[in-house]
Amino acid sequence: MNLRLYLQTLRWNRIRLAVVVIASVGWGMLIPVVYVAFADAFKELANSGAFPRELMNFGSGSLFTLPGALTLGLQHPLAIAFVGIFAVGSTVSAVAGEREAGTLEVLLSKPISRRTLYITLAAASATLVGIVMLALLGGQLIGVAIQGVTDELDLGLMPLVFLNGLMLWGAFAAFGLAASVSFDRHSPALGLTMAYLLVNYFLEILGSLWRDVAWSQQYSLFHHFNPGKILTGKTDAADFLILAVAIVIPVAYALWVFPRRDLAAPS
Amino acid sequence: MQAEPMGTSQAVIATDGLTKHYGNVEALVDLTLDVRAGEIFGFLGPNGAGKSTMIRTLLGFLHPTRGSATVLGLDVVADSVEIRRRTGYLPGGIALYDSLSGADALEYLGDLQDQGAAMREELCERLQMSKSVLRRKVRDYSRGMRQKIGVIQALQHDPELAILDEPTEGLDPLMQHAFYAVMDDQRAKGRSIFFSSHVLSEVERVCDRVAIIRSGHLMALQDVEELLARRKKKVELRWRGVAPDLAGIPGLADIEVKGDRMRATLQGDVSGFVRAIASPSLEDLTIEPARLEEAFLEYYAGDEASEEQRG
Repeated sequence: MNLRLYLQTLRWNRIRLAVVVIASVGWGMLIPVVYVAFADAFKELANSGAFPRELMNFGSGSLFTLPGALTLGLQHPLAIAFVGIFAVGSTVSAVAGEREAGTLEVLLSKPISRRTLYITLAAASATLVGIVMLALLGGQLIGVAIQGVTDELDLGLMPLVFLNGLMLWGAFAAFGLAASVSFDRHSPALGLTMAYLLVNYFLEILGSLWRDVAWSQQYSLFHHFNPGKILTGKTDAADFLILAVAIVIPVAYALWVFPRRDLAAPS
Repeated sequence: MQAEPMGTSQAVIATDGLTKHYGNVEALVDLTLDVRAGEIFGFLGPNGAGKSTMIRTLLGFLHPTRGSATVLGLDVVADSVEIRRRTGYLPGGIALYDSLSGADALEYLGDLQDQGAAMREELCERLQMSKSVLRRKVRDYSRGMRQKIGVIQALQHDPELAILDEPTEGLDPLMQHAFYAVMDDQRAKGRSIFFSSHVLSEVERVCDRVAIIRSGHLMALQDVEELLARRKKKVELRWRGVAPDLAGIPGLADIEVKGDRMRATLQGDVSGFVRAIASPSLEDLTIEPARLEEAFLEYYAGDEASEEQRG
């Protein structure tokens, strides 16, 4: 890993990161507030049968329990947008964006191997994603403390939730970086990575809303990010294993392809 | 890998049958050449001739289809990182990080080079990049200022070999001369420079040897002086009264006589020609020095003619 490149990559993202961290903490704090204010009303509504229970779930989350509410907060499109800025946006730009801009030429004229470049960018992406995950979880913990519902959580399991989230977004970041090293232009890398993210999200939401196709959730990486299960002591090692495989495959692909690619002159 | 300094007799760049194909397109074909330590080597060719492909292959951006190449005695495929540590590279039409100031860009690229920046201050001074200019963001720079940053970042660590792709592009004439002076000083220090250009006058001004490439093929490789000596010079003379006897003067051709004037081309020894035409009737004599441009065009004209014949 190249420390100078790593630090510069973080430096380039610092303003964007600061904004996203503030927004993530705010969003995280809001979830326990919503839970405390509306959980009983939702439970009554669900028990009355007037409203299908499935429609009160969102992915693997719900507002019936605090762990479910926290899951909902982390799988909500807003949270996905916050983390996605770095897991997708930054990773896709990391190589293809620099190549399109012509700056990759200058960077790779320095004594940095392509493998080192990839590993450094991957480490920077993991750091950025990790910071946003910490902000989301930190915001949730602050909200939980303010609402006085800490007794409904096993705080000792939060690091496992963080790891689970980091692995989910690490998988998308690894895919984004693999796409980034494969294309000379930013747009196809972004399109491919967004398609991968949206298909995964669609499968998860579809299965949670329509029980007949609940099987589709198994094929979504989002389904294997389940803070609700972890926080209720039902951690499934298979979730971590599947996410690990989803990280390893694009990383191995990128480490194989990138050093062997021809980088012709930018047009 | 431990870096070892090159001896002056060694080739800093050596290619042997270097070939690069993009699919069916032959970008470089069987290119064999060497660049000696301590020389400024011009690599000439029109757009699309294969100059950038050659440079990118030397720096490990592209992988050769066939053949081999070494830079500073190191293999371009296996030792690419070490090659880039010991060289400086200016890409053609360089792109820089717009959000950085000029000073930060040089600092950042210098740090990545990890070889110090012994020449940064001197180069900034010679290329008139003052501290106040360097404090400005790169995005506010003109094309010429960006090019100067490109030149400085390529040379700031005083590399054994600099590979410069169209280095004077965008520089005003004053800065071009400042750049040529830097090149001369680098040569005097024993540094080697591989210099790609299609500006023939600057290659003629700066380079010791020149390779001419076209459609990926090496057309010529020789000393600039030798190349120029072989070119035909333009001669024009004027006389009073009786015309001098021009028959049988070695090297004189394309003779055009109009009244009291004669125009011709001369190849070879000038002193023999001057002796032959010496006469009291001679009023004026002009001999235009051969230009590299003509040598260049002659090579290409010859090649085009042979291609037409083949066709």
